[in-house]
Amino acid sequence: MNMIEKLVSSLFSDVGVYDAIRVTLCMSVCSTLLSSVIGIAFGLMLERFSFPGKRIVVRINRTLMGVPPVVVGLVVYMLIMRRGPLGFLGILFTVRGMILAQTLIITPIICGMTYSYAVKAAPAVRVFAKTMGASRLQTSILLIREMKYELYFAMISGFGRSISEVGAVMLVGGNIKGNTRTMTTAIALLKSQGIFHEGLTLGLLLLGMAFVIQCLADFFRREVREDENY
Amino acid sequence: MRITEKGRHPIHMRMINLEKRIGDFQLKIDDLTIEEGIIHGFVGANGSGKTTAAKLIMDIIRPDAGRIDYGGLKLTDITMTSQRPYLLHDTVYANLVYPLKIRGRKIQEEQIRELLAMFHLEDKAKQYARSLSSGEQQKLSMLRAMIFEPKLLIIDETLSNLDPGSVDQFEKMILDIQKRKPVTWVMISHRLSHQYRLCDRLHFFSQGRVVASGTGKEILFESSKPEIRRFMAKEMIKKEIP
Repeated sequence: MNMIEKLVSSLFSDVGVYDAIRVTLCMSVCSTLLSSVIGIAFGLMLERFSFPGKRIVVRINRTLMGVPPVVVGLVVYMLIMRRGPLGFLGILFTVRGMILAQTLIITPIICGMTYSYAVKAAPAVRVFAKTMGASRLQTSILLIREMKYELYFAMISGFGRSISEVGAVMLVGGNIKGNTRTMTTAIALLKSQGIFHEGLTLGLLLLGMAFVIQCLADFFRREVREDENY
Repeated sequence: MRITEKGRHPIHMRMINLEKRIGDFQLKIDDLTIEEGIIHGFVGANGSGKTTAAKLIMDIIRPDAGRIDYGGLKLTDITMTSQRPYLLHDTVYANLVYPLKIRGRKIQEEQIRELLAMFHLEDKAKQYARSLSSGEQQKLSMLRAMIFEPKLLIIDETLSNLDPGSVDQFEKMILDIQKRKPVTWVMISHRLSHQYRLCDRLHFFSQGRVVASGTGKEILFESSKPEIRRFMAKEMIKKEIP
């Protein structure tokens, strides 16, 4: 047992808080990275290409940005349960299953934010790239470079959503101590056991982590200067 | 290489029966020739189609009808700067060397320093480009456009925010380039004096048409076209009433 683990264990009852923090971070980081790759790629493609029904796709994505996580959790549960179509994967009540659910929750958020930023930035960047004689690939790289702060912000927003989520991970992960228990599901458990002060302490810890993430987001937002000339 | 009817300059590119509608506005160019190695000026009132013509040349917008004969000129050999230039979210230096980087050309630090020093930007090389004043941003965009030595440069009101000293300096620089290794310029500007001084050939735009082409003297002082006379009269009044 290392120092941090000892300190955490001394603060909380036997609900596996140390493991919960570890699982929370692992799940949030993995799902954010996966969602970022998919969401940014789809967001940029959605901006770049025109096709019939594009507006509907954008609207559906915007709707999914606000989908209740518990609904996603239920759908993922039905997909990966033993008799479900993806039951053969054997990822129900595992961190991988939780990552899948979180990825489905966060991807529309990152995709939607990327699309909104790209709609604003891309036309000017493309015209500039053309006047500079850039190739298509160079233009795409330039667009991503020019939107890097906005993309960081979208990723951090996704991470913030992931770290604070409870409904879907509870359903898909099963809140198994030391295995799939996260900070938020641990708080829910502590509340059901009537250990409010510990739940609140854990909540404050989570809040602290969320605060750090928000500070990062603010840092990137500040970097995006207002005095843009196109 | 084709030679113009006057037999002086080879033709660089030609706009033939070009049409472009944007909302209620329609640009219609029957035949506009851009000759190589000289400075062309697009003159005319606001909304007369100068910038639209420039955007068509740059392939930023596509024509509804007609064609542009580039005559061997590649789009990567053409560049355009605008009144509100786009600057990268990066330093002045990074902005300046961007066209060289994408062409895989070697960056000659001495040349960069000299260019920046010419417009008093040498101390600002590491500064965030968008924090420059609008005049400095225009200088930077002009330098960036010239650094990769394009064959055709379109300058769309880029000199409008510059102080008179900087405009003079740019004029000198352009004339110096023309003496050493002539390139083709298309200058779009409201400053008639500036156009008159610099341009070898002016094209007068009115309501989406090129109504006259010729030397500055022919267009601004000798033309009897009512559109040009009206425009000139307005310009005179503007000068008299501040």
